[in-house]
Amino acid sequence: MLKLLANLLRVLNSESNPGQISLAFCLAMVAGLTPFWSLHNLLVLLLVLLIRVNLSAFLVVLMFFSGVAYLLDPLFHRIGLAVLTADSLEGLWTNFYHSTLWRIERFNNTIVMGSLSFSLVVFIPLYLLLNLGIIRYRAHVLAWVERTRLMQILKASRFYSLYQSVSGWGVGL
Amino acid sequence: MKDEQAVQGGKEAPERQDQPRKQGEGKDKNKGWIRWWGLGVFVLLTAALAASWFLFLDLFVKRLIEQTGTRIVGAKVELTSADVSLFPLGLTLARLQVTNPDEPMTNVVEIGRIACTVDGLNLLRRKVIIEEMALEGLKLGTPRQTSGAVARQPEKGTLTKPANTISLPSFEVPDVKTIMASADLESVKLVESLRADVQSEQESWKKRLADLPDKAKLNEYKSRLERLKSSAKGGVAGILGATGEVAAIQKDLERDLANLQSAKTDFETRLASLKQRMDQAVKAPQEDVRRLREKYSLSPQGLANMSGMLLKGQGGERVRKALVWYGKIQPFLARAKEQRKGHEAVKPVRGKGLDVRFAEQAPLPDFLIRLAKVSAQLEAGDVTGRIENITPDQDVLGKPLTFVFSGEKLSGLSSVRLDGSLNHVAPASAKDTVQLRLRGYQVQGVVLSESADWPVTMEKALADLDLQASVSGQALAGTMTAGLKSARLTVGKQESSNQLAKAVGSALSAVSTFTVKADVTGTLDQYEVHLTSDLDRVLKEAAGKLVQDYADRITKELEAAVMAKVGGPLSELKGSFSGLGGVGDELAARLAQGAGSPKGSPEKLLPGGFKLPF
Repeated sequence: MLKLLANLLRVLNSESNPGQISLAFCLAMVAGLTPFWSLHNLLVLLLVLLIRVNLSAFLVVLMFFSGVAYLLDPLFHRIGLAVLTADSLEGLWTNFYHSTLWRIERFNNTIVMGSLSFSLVVFIPLYLLLNLGIIRYRAHVLAWVERTRLMQILKASRFYSLYQSVSGWGVGL
Repeated sequence: MKDEQAVQGGKEAPERQDQPRKQGEGKDKNKGWIRWWGLGVFVLLTAALAASWFLFLDLFVKRLIEQTGTRIVGAKVELTSADVSLFPLGLTLARLQVTNPDEPMTNVVEIGRIACTVDGLNLLRRKVIIEEMALEGLKLGTPRQTSGAVARQPEKGTLTKPANTISLPSFEVPDVKTIMASADLESVKLVESLRADVQSEQESWKKRLADLPDKAKLNEYKSRLERLKSSAKGGVAGILGATGEVAAIQKDLERDLANLQSAKTDFETRLASLKQRMDQAVKAPQEDVRRLREKYSLSPQGLANMSGMLLKGQGGERVRKALVWYGKIQPFLARAKEQRKGHEAVKPVRGKGLDVRFAEQAPLPDFLIRLAKVSAQLEAGDVTGRIENITPDQDVLGKPLTFVFSGEKLSGLSSVRLDGSLNHVAPASAKDTVQLRLRGYQVQGVVLSESADWPVTMEKALADLDLQASVSGQALAGTMTAGLKSARLTVGKQESSNQLAKAVGSALSAVSTFTVKADVTGTLDQYEVHLTSDLDRVLKEAAGKLVQDYADRITKELEAAVMAKVGGPLSELKGSFSGLGGVGDELAARLAQGAGSPKGSPEKLLPGGFKLPF
């Protein structure tokens, strides 16, 4: 757990473009919240590898969202059922139902549809928020955190040694 | 890769510690958003994934079949190998063994080879459509080398196995003293209660008679009238005074007579009620005897359904087994479906969420085997069969599952035909039917009763059997008729000293031809098997006289014993009851005396029959 947190801090404090980190977060959210062995996750994998997103951030956040997904399954089921049984969308889903590609995607499963719909709706707002958050964190919080008494204590702990071993920064946060 | 590490702030960028952060960010931005080597990694990863999937597919399918089968059957389902071919897409399974859950060292069914081709395009659409499947080398009841038992919770709704022992009528003579010691005689209670009521009634009428006008009082009316006659004076005033007195006497007399009449009517009503109870009390001892005789199964009718008891164990066990397996195949006949806002939602067997269905141009079930050709190698010989339309979505396909198996000139069996249909096209009115026809079936060593007192075995017989059964919803109905020829029944414990047991055993041993009819009615959870046979007639003829003699003797003994207990109180009751007759006589006598008093208009009762002028 400490190592995961250290990894995350390393990524946040690195010189990576905030957009690359945010995109990694958002793609990891899609892959993590939706059933892993789904067709759309092949596309997510392609995007993660092709676009210069932060792989460490992707893997860390993927693990996090995979765990969270189990707790959110009842919610996804309800969202999926509402979306799939919406009268206005019936024509669209019926067309999809006749398409082999969409059947492989298993779009008609309430949890697949619910989790995918949720992830896609949250995707852009989350991307923008994370971008803003990372920039502000680097500009303000990083320096302030370093000065706090808590950080001084942390610097003396095992966590800090671990952090140092992965970050290579002598000056800390 | 080196670029990537630098971008992520790896250890090989020590200059970052001394340089302003913005320099690093500028360098990062220059790299652009696309890393083309990622495409290569993606291709490699996808290829590796596909290769490993193909490599392990056979193993995966084998595990899937074994695990799913084991879960459904409740005992090990094993497969020697599974082979998935891609061109054409097909599946071949070798040696499928399904353990009998009740006998873990025996396979309920073993199939040497199962081969089928799968519709590839529909498989991509998550529909398993098999046009034709061949099941070869099907065997029943094969022995296993290792136990196929699995630890499991008792299944909900599993029908409990009845003990294969039967309760034949006891031929032991019960001791009358023992019967009487624990008998609760209704007649004694009835007689005691009635005797108390009769006595109470006697007391009550004794008091009431004392209150009613007696003979002396009625005589007094007569005397008063006589006195009035003799002392009558002349003159209008005297005549008017005498007339008034006569009228007063008449009024009193009539009131007393009305009281007496009312009492008599009341008495007669009560007497009728007591008489009815009295009649019951007189019959009560006989009723007690009849009840005790029935309680201790001493009637000759006890033999009437002995064949039912003999054969019920075997018949009931076969029905139970059939229903247990019927329950196991239910999930394959109709899946749990529910309507959500007009759309059909199908719950996957294992998985999360619901699969919502939409209208299809050519609807197909999610799983379908259009035709399964079965070649079974039974001990008796080869039996072939066809099963059509195996699917859990019959409502989508619009056709029921049908099956037919037949075999001719088998060992120990001239011919067999099993056919039927499992119709769940309209789930609300599902109906499953099965017909079985066996001809020339050689029955051997069938234990009909494992009872220690009455072991009965059918050593051999030649049977023709017809069976029809149907299940509509939860209602179960079935009829089986079997004609048995050249039968040999053996009954153990022939050395029994009991004459009755000997007679029944001897009669059974002599039987060579008989028929059995079984009716099954009820529900899947609670059903009744009713067996009848002309064996009963044979048994009744053989042992009925013995049972009747015995019943007559025990009836006499019981009558004597009951009367010994009830006789005394009953005699006393009769005495008390006859005493009540005196009350009726007394009331009648008083009424007769009252009726004999002079009557008529007061003027007529006066001397000379004087008439008033007005």
